[in-house]
Amino acid sequence: MNVQTGHLHACTVTEVREEVRTALRRDESIRVAGSGTWMDAGRPVSAERVLSVASLNGVVNYEPGDFTITVRAGTELQLIADTAAKERQWLPLDPFGSPTGTVGATIATGSFGPLAHAFGSPRDHVLGLRVVTGTGNLLIVGGRVVKNVAGFDLTRLFTGSWGTLGIITEATLRLRALPEVDESYALTVDSDPQAMDAQLRALSTAPIAPYAVELLNPALAKRLDAGTDTTLLVRLCGNAESVRAQRSALSRLNTVRPADPRIWNTFAECEPADASVIRFARRPSHLGDLWRNAVRRTASGFVHASVGRGIVRCMASDTGWDDLTGEAWWAPGSAIVERGAVAPHRLPVPQNASAAARARISRGVKSVFDPSNILNPGIMGDVQ
Amino acid sequence: MNTVVSNTELAATLRSITGDSSVLTRRSQLLTYTSDGLPTYRKWPALAVFPNTRDELIQVVRALALAKRSFVPRGAGTGLSGGALAEGDAVVVGLNRLNRIISIDAENRLAVVEPGTVNAHLTRAASAYGLHYAPDPSSQTACTIGGNVAENAGGPHCLKYGVTLNHVAALTVILPEGEIVTLGNADGEDEGYDLLGAFIGSEGCFGIATDVTVKLTRNPEAIVTLLADFTSVESAAHAVSAIIASGIVPAALEMMDNATIRAVEASIYAAGYPADAAAVLLAEVDGLLAGLEADVRLIDRLCVEAGARTVRVAREEGERMRLWQGRKKAFGAMGRIAPDLIVQDAVVPRTKLPEVLAKIGEIGRHHRIMICNVFHAGDGNLHPNIAYDARNAGVQDRAHEAMREIMTVCISAGGTITGEHGIGLDKLDYMPLIFTPHTLDAMCQIRRVFDPERRSNPEKVVPIHSCREWYAASGARP
Repeated sequence: MNVQTGHLHACTVTEVREEVRTALRRDESIRVAGSGTWMDAGRPVSAERVLSVASLNGVVNYEPGDFTITVRAGTELQLIADTAAKERQWLPLDPFGSPTGTVGATIATGSFGPLAHAFGSPRDHVLGLRVVTGTGNLLIVGGRVVKNVAGFDLTRLFTGSWGTLGIITEATLRLRALPEVDESYALTVDSDPQAMDAQLRALSTAPIAPYAVELLNPALAKRLDAGTDTTLLVRLCGNAESVRAQRSALSRLNTVRPADPRIWNTFAECEPADASVIRFARRPSHLGDLWRNAVRRTASGFVHASVGRGIVRCMASDTGWDDLTGEAWWAPGSAIVERGAVAPHRLPVPQNASAAARARISRGVKSVFDPSNILNPGIMGDVQ
Repeated sequence: MNTVVSNTELAATLRSITGDSSVLTRRSQLLTYTSDGLPTYRKWPALAVFPNTRDELIQVVRALALAKRSFVPRGAGTGLSGGALAEGDAVVVGLNRLNRIISIDAENRLAVVEPGTVNAHLTRAASAYGLHYAPDPSSQTACTIGGNVAENAGGPHCLKYGVTLNHVAALTVILPEGEIVTLGNADGEDEGYDLLGAFIGSEGCFGIATDVTVKLTRNPEAIVTLLADFTSVESAAHAVSAIIASGIVPAALEMMDNATIRAVEASIYAAGYPADAAAVLLAEVDGLLAGLEADVRLIDRLCVEAGARTVRVAREEGERMRLWQGRKKAFGAMGRIAPDLIVQDAVVPRTKLPEVLAKIGEIGRHHRIMICNVFHAGDGNLHPNIAYDARNAGVQDRAHEAMREIMTVCISAGGTITGEHGIGLDKLDYMPLIFTPHTLDAMCQIRRVFDPERRSNPEKVVPIHSCREWYAASGARP
């Protein structure tokens, strides 16, 4: 065990359990961390103790023929990528941020990136978890096989629970085969609203099966060297013949420009360190409106959208927040703060008849796993 | 009977909600509801009620809450784990009359349906828009979306497209206490705990979905089905590994062994499978037309390299359907072999398939019973089925012993006890073999969050004693 100025780096599951039990005994709370990149992710936690699982890392088991990998929570996404690439496999999960981010934090925060267009978010990748709960018990949930309906699905509850239900110590994930061809293209989108909407509709019915489709505002397009206007960035994968046909279908929308394949790495890491990040979502058919509204309200900064998922993500300086979140202009959609000064409870929330029932169930779930409310208090499901 | 309200009183209350013809009380009427798709079990419910509208359903659940009655939600009753059976005081709440497709939002590929909507009917309705509902259990012409949600149903095509969990955007649920709650969010992102994910696959223990918002999938431009036949099960299993390793994601990759092939070919579902093959592999690729032929050629080559005698390529809809019919109706065809059938469901890591299949063969020989294997080879989801005649003395015991041994083999190989049929009643005994007491207890407690009185599908999924065991061991509060 390695203690630095209030931070405890657990190297074993036993140490994680001991730390939880110590906190329980002392009636103190724990802030759970991976590599620490997301510590201020719009969900400020005040806790007496910080427990990092970054030292709890490495591959536990990798059977390429099964397309599954079991890793400790502190394993960096880059290590999983490097390990799987040797077998021409990958974990198609590309959350925004550094590749040194840990898999445990990615799962705990439910983070995803452009590849979610085709592969979904962590809930679609995680097969099983080992978790130390707020009572210090080790739970083994889910399994190591790609299909499993044994018992209630606790795996889904821990995924995206922001460490409020338990400390993930190990995860088994589903891998995929790396595509034979992986090419990216940029094309300019018309600035006229009607023309833009028509282009987006044509894109959604075009004979293509992209792995990612992102809309970039001019500032972000310039930053990524993908264009100077509002730009679509499309990732086409498959065998050579398929990608060739998809590129030609895409070029019927507008002139396509080949993009450097590394553009997705630059994109993932383009977030200015001091920016606040918020994402808005509606059904994809409303994306044009959602986009124009978000762009207009983001005074300066980067804006992009996952077109197929109807999600617009804004990276803004704090000064722009009032325009962006002053009223629930995104209704009936959703607004989620990823990082920044506006705490989620300060966002105007559209009326939802069952909000009280959901809150009650969430508190119930929290009290099952963390009855003393010691894990990341203040983020989600707090026991009252 | 230790209930607050007698069956007669309860029936009268329910009739006042649903009308006389929607409440069944006589044994002759209830007989249909004493078993589900797994006929090994027979349980008599107290009565059965069939709400005609969602409002009636809500009133029925609230009346049952007031009467403190347990209930069992039931769709088409095609489940294969005894999960839809009610016993003693419990009331069957039949949902098959709630079968309306409420809306289809073709542009956003979403549909809102009532829980009793038949899976295949949804796909038929969506086909007008060039869309379909991807999860396709073999029972899809009968099973309901509500039941699919309860079981987190899969099907042959979930190899590529994912299971029910991946295709539900939101649910409106009536909790056992009568409260209505929306889980998930069809209009944006969901925030907070993934209660939607927890509800899917909860086997009716968390409440009843009153409507389901499903994601629809664009129909592929082209589909090609291949049938490869092998002289050994091992070589077929190796072909599976080779195909998966090649990077192609087939839409489906199904295997049938010789016993299954012969049963199918002797039945009205005859699909033209070579009767002397040790195993056939049904592989399907779909998607964009461009590039598909390259995948077909590669699968063909990999099968031949693994030892396939012949590979048939079906591009025409009629021929494809015939090849599939044999697979989808294989369980039915087994009725020709013997009057009784145990349909089993387990998952093993794909790489363990040859080894596990060999052991299943040994177990069958040792117990002198016939095991037919028909399964989703691509994701290691086995369905070893035992066809037997329960009238022959001792055979039922041997069949059950063989099943227990097969489950043990699958667990030892790193697998799990069910991939898509659920725990229900049938697999309660196996739960402690794969989960620790702590994990089982957590499941008990999560269920109580949704259903504090454990009235919704009682005594299913988690063995009740596993909760108490942990309380005793840890000294924790229940």
